Amino acid sequence: MAERRLTNTIRTLRFHASEMTQAELGERIGVTRQTVAATEQGKYSPTLETAFRIADVFHVGLEEVFRWSEDES
Amino acid sequence: MAFREKIAWLALGTMLVAYTVYFTIVGPTAGFGEARMVDIIWSFGLVATAQAVAMIVGAIAIAVTATKEASASADERDRAIARRGATIGYYVLIVGMVIVGVVMPFSEAPWKIVNAALLAIVLAEVTHQAVVLLSYRRGWHG
Repeated sequence: MAERRLTNTIRTLRFHASEMTQAELGERIGVTRQTVAATEQGKYSPTLETAFRIADVFHVGLEEVFRWSEDES
Repeated sequence: MAFREKIAWLALGTMLVAYTVYFTIVGPTAGFGEARMVDIIWSFGLVATAQAVAMIVGAIAIAVTATKEASASADERDRAIARRGATIGYYVLIVGMVIVGVVMPFSEAPWKIVNAALLAIVLAEVTHQAVVLLSYRRGWHG
């Protein structure tokens, strides 16, 4: 059965934003560096508000940051 | 490692050491209060005080090495993980209290009931901290 998993492009978006650090992004969206790291690694799914804040920081739509990927399990 | 994760490791470690010492060494030495109930107070009190002191000293040491993180307030992930730990720990506590308060009074001596209650509290708190640590290590998905 295919299991849907939430993935994100935060690492790439940070790279394109002049190598913005996790700490800097965390500061701008109101979470710790560890929470940004956990989100990037798919270990944490942020709240809707934080997801929108991340998209705002990079001036992109939410669907450009987060999307479903389908894994066969 | 996040500041709050280090604090959870400290809490779990100090609790496991302190209350293992109580239930295997200090408690049996004091007869778990079988002869005199007041013995439970000084024996458990001694261990609980030692654990609290170790926790305070350890927390200060961790805060000194991570001043910025220590002064920052918990974010949404920290709060979600803390809620999950408290919720699961609460269920362990409820089961323990049902056994201690509803089942044991029909068959057990008071000193056993008191020690069982203390054990239930310790197990609930250990569960709480273990869930917090597991959530930090393995992830949290609401």
